[in-house]
Amino acid sequence: MKLVLPWLRELVDLDAPVEEIAETLDMRGFEVASIEETMEGVAVIDVEITANRPDCLSVMGLAREVATAYNAPLGHLGPLAAPPLETVALRHVDSDQVGVALEDPALCPRYAAAIADVEIGPSPSWLAGRLHAAGLRPINNVVDVTNYVMLEVGHPMHAFDVNRLAGPELRIHTAGFGRQHRSGDYRGIRTLDGEMRRLADDVLVIADAGRPVAIAGVMGGADSEVSARTRTIAIESACFEPTSIRRSSRSLGLQTEASYRFERGADISAPVLALERACALLERIGAGRARGTVIDRYPSAAVPRRVVLREHRIRELLGAPVPSQEVTRVLEGLGFSIRSVGIRDRPAGQSEQWEIEIPTARMDVTREADLIEEVGRHHGYDRLPSSFPALKAVAPSPDPRIERARLLGRVMTGAGFSEATTFGFIEKDAALLFTDESELVAILNPLSEKFAVMRPSLLPGLIDSVAHNWRRGRKDVRLFEIGSRFVMSDAELRTIAFAWSGLAVPEHWSGSPRAVDFFDARGMVERIAQALGLAADRLSLGAGDRPFLVPGRSAAVRYGDGAQNADVELGIVGQLTPAIAERRGLPSAEPVYVGEIDIDRIAAFEARRGGIRVEPLPRYPSVVRDLSVVIDGTLPAAAVRGTIRAVAPPTLVAVREFARYQGKGIPEGSVSLSFRLTFQSRERTLTDVEVQEAFDLLVARLTEAHGARLR
Amino acid sequence: MHQPSMQQFMSDPAAINRLRAQFLAELAATSGEPALRGLRDRYLGRKSGAITALLKSVAAAPPDVRPTLGRLANELKGQIETALAERLATVEAPRHPADAVDVTLPGRDFPLGHRHPLTLLRERIEEIFTRMGYQGLEGPECEDDYHNYEALNMPPHHPARDMQDTLYLASPFNERYAVPGTGRRDAYAANLLRTHTSGMQIRYMETHAPPVRIIVPGRVYRRDNLDLTHTPMFTQIEGLVVDEGVTLADLKGTMAAFLGELFETDAKVRFRPSFFPYTEPSAEVLLGCIFCKGSGCGICKKTGWLEVAGSGMVHPALFERVGYDPERYTGFAFGMGVERIAIVKYGVDDIRMFYENDLRFLEQFGQ
Repeated sequence: MKLVLPWLRELVDLDAPVEEIAETLDMRGFEVASIEETMEGVAVIDVEITANRPDCLSVMGLAREVATAYNAPLGHLGPLAAPPLETVALRHVDSDQVGVALEDPALCPRYAAAIADVEIGPSPSWLAGRLHAAGLRPINNVVDVTNYVMLEVGHPMHAFDVNRLAGPELRIHTAGFGRQHRSGDYRGIRTLDGEMRRLADDVLVIADAGRPVAIAGVMGGADSEVSARTRTIAIESACFEPTSIRRSSRSLGLQTEASYRFERGADISAPVLALERACALLERIGAGRARGTVIDRYPSAAVPRRVVLREHRIRELLGAPVPSQEVTRVLEGLGFSIRSVGIRDRPAGQSEQWEIEIPTARMDVTREADLIEEVGRHHGYDRLPSSFPALKAVAPSPDPRIERARLLGRVMTGAGFSEATTFGFIEKDAALLFTDESELVAILNPLSEKFAVMRPSLLPGLIDSVAHNWRRGRKDVRLFEIGSRFVMSDAELRTIAFAWSGLAVPEHWSGSPRAVDFFDARGMVERIAQALGLAADRLSLGAGDRPFLVPGRSAAVRYGDGAQNADVELGIVGQLTPAIAERRGLPSAEPVYVGEIDIDRIAAFEARRGGIRVEPLPRYPSVVRDLSVVIDGTLPAAAVRGTIRAVAPPTLVAVREFARYQGKGIPEGSVSLSFRLTFQSRERTLTDVEVQEAFDLLVARLTEAHGARLR
Repeated sequence: MHQPSMQQFMSDPAAINRLRAQFLAELAATSGEPALRGLRDRYLGRKSGAITALLKSVAAAPPDVRPTLGRLANELKGQIETALAERLATVEAPRHPADAVDVTLPGRDFPLGHRHPLTLLRERIEEIFTRMGYQGLEGPECEDDYHNYEALNMPPHHPARDMQDTLYLASPFNERYAVPGTGRRDAYAANLLRTHTSGMQIRYMETHAPPVRIIVPGRVYRRDNLDLTHTPMFTQIEGLVVDEGVTLADLKGTMAAFLGELFETDAKVRFRPSFFPYTEPSAEVLLGCIFCKGSGCGICKKTGWLEVAGSGMVHPALFERVGYDPERYTGFAFGMGVERIAIVKYGVDDIRMFYENDLRFLEQFGQ
């Protein structure tokens, strides 16, 4: 809303400088975007009007705020019925040269119209200048007068050329009603901007004898537009139901000064007054003469709302008392009528109560809290003290999701990974590389193809970020992200993902660098699992086909729940296929390793961990034996380890692969695998003999089960 | 080298002087660290050192001469110690064993990664509120219309929905939201991406009785094109306090304390009345510009004030909806955009940098 300062000064007698007025508005809730000056040197304050204050989309509304702030007279203060504006009194009649049939009082609670004889021409420069300063384009004297009144008192109006109406009547109903109940063409309308617009059933229109002549509250029709030849006009001043106007405006993709105001709510008391003001202006600028009558269809007159305001409640909400005189001064200044209904005794002292009548223009005020806001913002929030809410209980610990993310964030940075933030939605093509179409959570109204589906995995975003860094010459990239992924058959899943390209061992003068490989990525998965408190020996990696990972260099990560036999899949780890890497802008020759683990699934195990109980340190020495066996090259180490675990006595406390060898001395297709076995008892020192017996048994069993040969 | 004889200076100051002369002559004739250490052992050694023997003989001397002899002997001991220490200090030869390293070469690289600035800031904000007794919580990113809009006084076609253009889901998505501290999961069909974290006000109050004191960080989505200053996804932090006797003055004090901590400033905090459908009264939280100290600069758009949060007293209709008594309880809520604060705090001039994950950008932040 561009507030033209001389216009404001016309309504409030005030000497204050423009900067001060702007600051005053700003601190009453009307954020000032800028103060400008037109080429003619007129000051204009650009004010942002919040959605709850359509009454302040007018000079009059803002004048009332300024007058209250300065405690200055607003001509005759009070409701719109008595502003200090020149008006022409109109006599109510039931019919006139043009009839009005209000067929849909639910969508149009009030419709008023007045007839005037006019002579079309340009507006005088003072009027055109004001419109210009306020950001509207002057068109002709009649249209300008309706716009002027809209800016002044906040009520939009529309003028029809009476001679261009097909039949002397205005009917208010929906386009659908017209199609059903009337003869004529109600399919569409050519609007003032020249566009042909199709009308949905629920769009409210103004129609003449056989067709729509305006989209109610949005825009008039070209066929009945005021033109240079117009001699007689019907000025419409109505109230429309806000959600209906909003729906029309949305469905037609058409927002106008009128629809903007009507969808926020127009004052039901304003239509006739706005007409009276418009007629006075027409005469004042010599544009025409009103007939002096008005048709006012207003089937159920609005009953003013009354709300009780309690003095103590002001203190309870704001945190400081506001003197009674100040309460009444502010509310009366803003146009509320006040009646004191008594003083109540309360434990904290006496509290006055008022019954407040709400002006119809203030549709936003419906309850006591709304009135307290009015009092508070004019009394000034700067005057409130600063305090703290009393703390009566210890805060519970934070959401475990927050704590887990913090922990993992530090574990990952400790391992050289930097944290990425990527978008929650990605392009469909990228998503389809990671999941099936049926799993995609699609967005109905995406901004662009780039943001079309919710990410089914954090990897597409991370891979694009790796590519971003590659293009800028960074080849050693370690990135991770913690966030949600979305799959249709499951839910929103909290996940950690990482991507690793380039070197695992950086260049150093002491030795050779080494590129990242599968076991670096697997190590990161193990580190994440360890940080979240999973038992290392229950974590298993095995086959898990994912089309975006290289077979043979990737795995599904599972965790055995101990209690149940079934392993739960936590995620995946492995090398991204070169084809996908290339599609996302990475060189196909450079391996990129990725991992993704669902933290929420881990949390299910974590909860069963319980508190820590320290185990006493072992008192007896351990015995270490190395075991090297030659086995078939395709046999997974986990199978051998599993056999060892199954056969060994409970004194075997650790098994660890420490060497793997193929080549000279080992038959083609076989591999030598070395395990370090640690035996230890909590009760006594183990003898060489019993360890040797256990060892021999292991070897025998490995030979039997896997054809292993001791090396 | 002969051993100095103990017998010859028993009970004899002259003998002590001879011993001194003998030591000084030997010291002058000795060079190199090992030889000096040998000399020290011969005179000061605990078992057979000449001075050790001298002191023993003094102890055995007749009482009349014992004090004098004792003083002289101790003087000599001190003199020998000092002289030896001085010589040893000057002859300390540089040691250079065969396995020496060039310590000026760089160490092995154990690279440290960097946290994302938005996370660092988020955690900092959470930490400040945790100290004020708030519980940190997270909510679901896919919401239903009721929690994102209707329960917050924004029925369908409410103009306030314009302020946050919504991204809708093409088909309903089954969310399962684990309600903190209850072990329960809320299953519901989500139809939009939350446009703010305020839906958690409702979700939390629906499942918990007052008093309430929570802080909810999370990602939110709006239908905004990505450019220098806009983004379709950003991070928001929501706060909610409900109890008996909570006032707007409490909100003001809380905001002032929080902003003072976050920006390490004593700049003024101010409320500008505003409008949010779910708070009444509502206020925009303004912080005196920390760059120009209020005189007006590019960052505060010449106003002297930075807009840092939206806030207000919880609308009584929300309390009615979740079953709280609005006569008994009052509360305040606030919400802020982390990106916006990060832009101010870190001097980032392009919001897109937060989502590009350029290592040259990330590496400017800590762990």
